[in-house]
Amino acid sequence: MKIAEHDIRLVKRVELPWWNAALISIFSIVVALILFSLVFVHSGVNPINGFKEIFQFAFLNRNGLPLTINRSIFIFLCTCAFIIPYRAGLWNIGMAGQLYAGALGAFGVMYLFGAKGDPNLYIAPGIGIPLMMIGAMLAGGLIGGIAGFLRGRFNVNEIVTTMMLNSIGFWFVSYMVKEGGPFMNPVGRSESFDLPVSVRAPLIFGIPFTLVVALLLAVLLYWVFAKTRIGYKIKSYGHNPLAAKYSGINPQVIPVLVFVLGGMIAGLAAYHYFGAVPGVFKVARNYAEFGDLSFYGIICGLIAQGNPLAAIPISLLFGGLTNGGRFAQGKLQMGFGVDYALLGVMMITMVVLQFFYRYKIVWIKPEKEISDVGIIR
Amino acid sequence: MPTDNQIKKNAVLEARGITKRFPGCCANEQIDFEIKAGEVHAILGENGAGKTTLMNILFGLYQPDEGELYFDGEKVDFKSPLDAIKKGIGMVHQKRKLVMAHSVIENIMLGHPHAGEILNFKRVKQEVTELCEKYGFKLDLNAKVWQLSEGQRQSVEIIKALYRGAKVLILDEPTSALSPPETRNLLDSIRTMAESDLAVVPFITHKLPVVLDISHRVTVLRNGKVTAQFATEGATEKSLAKSMVGREVIIKLDKVEVERGKPVLEVENLSAYSEKDYLALKGVSFTIHEGEIFGIAGVSGNGQEELAEVLAGLRSAATGTILLDGEDITRNSTLERWRKGVGYVPAERNEVGSIADYSLIDNVAMNYYFEEEYVPRGVINYKGLRELTENLIAEYNVATPGPDVNARALSGGNLQKLILARVLSRKPRLIIASLPTQGLDVGAIEFVQNKLLQAKKDKAAILLISGEIEEALSLSDRVAPIYEGELMDIIPWTDAERDNVGAMMAGIKPKVESL
Repeated sequence: MKIAEHDIRLVKRVELPWWNAALISIFSIVVALILFSLVFVHSGVNPINGFKEIFQFAFLNRNGLPLTINRSIFIFLCTCAFIIPYRAGLWNIGMAGQLYAGALGAFGVMYLFGAKGDPNLYIAPGIGIPLMMIGAMLAGGLIGGIAGFLRGRFNVNEIVTTMMLNSIGFWFVSYMVKEGGPFMNPVGRSESFDLPVSVRAPLIFGIPFTLVVALLLAVLLYWVFAKTRIGYKIKSYGHNPLAAKYSGINPQVIPVLVFVLGGMIAGLAAYHYFGAVPGVFKVARNYAEFGDLSFYGIICGLIAQGNPLAAIPISLLFGGLTNGGRFAQGKLQMGFGVDYALLGVMMITMVVLQFFYRYKIVWIKPEKEISDVGIIR
Repeated sequence: MPTDNQIKKNAVLEARGITKRFPGCCANEQIDFEIKAGEVHAILGENGAGKTTLMNILFGLYQPDEGELYFDGEKVDFKSPLDAIKKGIGMVHQKRKLVMAHSVIENIMLGHPHAGEILNFKRVKQEVTELCEKYGFKLDLNAKVWQLSEGQRQSVEIIKALYRGAKVLILDEPTSALSPPETRNLLDSIRTMAESDLAVVPFITHKLPVVLDISHRVTVLRNGKVTAQFATEGATEKSLAKSMVGREVIIKLDKVEVERGKPVLEVENLSAYSEKDYLALKGVSFTIHEGEIFGIAGVSGNGQEELAEVLAGLRSAATGTILLDGEDITRNSTLERWRKGVGYVPAERNEVGSIADYSLIDNVAMNYYFEEEYVPRGVINYKGLRELTENLIAEYNVATPGPDVNARALSGGNLQKLILARVLSRKPRLIIASLPTQGLDVGAIEFVQNKLLQAKKDKAAILLISGEIEEALSLSDRVAPIYEGELMDIIPWTDAERDNVGAMMAGIKPKVESL
């Protein structure tokens, strides 16, 4: 393209330094906010005022911030559940099913303790809480492993199986917690029995300890993918399955491994929301909403390009927007779905502008050599 | 000698001062040449000499930064391949651009104006048949393209270009996938084309004999510049190679005499199925000893790929046994075989042998990630791997800015050097080298072959799979031509004759007397 004497060209990037990726992400957030202003204007709300409400409630409000953080931890864990298979070139669309299974796993452990019907039962938290987490992870890993096994052994498309397992998980929870189900709340409100007070998760400044677990997990995963043999094998399989097979990596094992690990982390997300977030402490009636929320893990994982550390701020942003968007919608008396619309616009702009992860615009002044260009083949 | 004026009159395609800049590699600088009607004008150059760039400029895929193109004396400015095709430039790529499920005639009709809105098969068929007869192509026009051999597919593309009215036919590595008889037929056809005033421009990296055989003139590229331009009459392989590489190249390797040691690989009645579930390898048996190169000569698709994969553990054996140093490894996994001393250099450098988005260090790790020395307790020692990679880069003269660049950035020859370095550095007992010099330039071929000979001196057993008779004969101690999954014969190199081996590669059984 030519503008006057200046030549503007699109050039493929050779490498993408992390700060460039960060700048592109921030740029796309700004573009998304500008685009979303139109929605505010359309509804007769001053955009600046609208965004102020959203961000103030999400990140600065005493009541809003803990909600944001709890949602962000949940989204972040779902992101990790997506990222691990993603690094192996596989798509985990089944975080919802895996977290449903995880919820049943966690409450299954409590059921075995006999917690149903006795909210005051004493279980030593040092035993009960880890067992609940393990139960959640095992159940999630099991569901994930089914998809991984089918993929590795029979080459069944993992997107299809994980989606189908979501449905199975959804109805299985329904069977377990609704009328007459084994985990039904004795008071009968189409939700599971309450978690005994003694095994409620310890809080740090009002935030459940799962925050620490999530942050440690981010660092651990980053290290695993950067420095360890197992991470190397997963990445190799993801980049080029044929080359991985050539170098002796078992192509049947890797899909099982990544889906079990991903499912386990999705199970942990279930533990976080149903077993650790203050005020929930049960498999809530609206558990399907959390299944829907888990899908943000996909988009966060894609925006983070599979990097678990980059996923932290992105999960925080999305957690904040779902939370603040819902609040602003009520307060400014806007139509239903403003929060979803905002997230939708944000996702689309971020994905579209990821174009610049791979290309850059080079501005060539007349009479000057190109100095900063990638290799074109 | 014709005067300048006469040449210009005859020239169909003329390039003046073509310059195309890319950062780093693959540029063209001030390229001048003219191609005359009725001439076969080869463009010769190593990988990275700028051949592909030039070809893309002639075909309108790239626009030159400087310089002009003239077609029939008229200045042209190709914005896209469509402009080039309309002018009369036909291009036959190395990668086939055909619809596999369609018949030959359908492929030729595709996009051609004579096909009409309502397909006029009769007219097209008649015209195409005439073309085939004229240039000596034997093709069943109703056959589906997927049923054809690689050579026949190339013929389809050539006819397609001719049928579109090409006056200049550009061929990218036209003989690289052909068996010797197919090559002979193609060369005959090219000669006929030149006689009927077409200009044929083959782009060739190696196969110097082919260049000498058919072309009237040669333009040699090196580092993006034209280094020589001469009539082929009077040129020799040596002089061509010298102007390509810029130094003397040893074309014929001297045999390295190594005493044959004890058997390393013993293969008995080995069979394997192909991807498409037919028996591609049919009960082959042979033995390779220490310090021996065993050559499998064959046109690709005759079971040699399957043989290499079965030996490397990437494909399971349907029947038979594989012994490595006397130990049965038939049921061992790929990883176990790497550990026991099998080293595999695959033919598909980019698809199998390397990971394009990995750094060179991570690519070297492909053969080391399972070694405790470099990955103690599951944590990769990147410092040690970096050192190893740097040493390999230095020892094998891999041209790269450093070990941190992605493998994608390496040229074919340098990537092959890196893969070879990685595999040979493990000091394998058995080296499976599948088409190790395919698509490389003369300098890199020499390097790779010398490294294999070095490994032979170091007492390794080497299985060399090659599509080129010269290579198979000059490197191997024994040669086995392969055809449709069977070894036609196993011949000591002293008894192997070029024509004989070539005939067996094409499926002609050795005469009973010679047995």
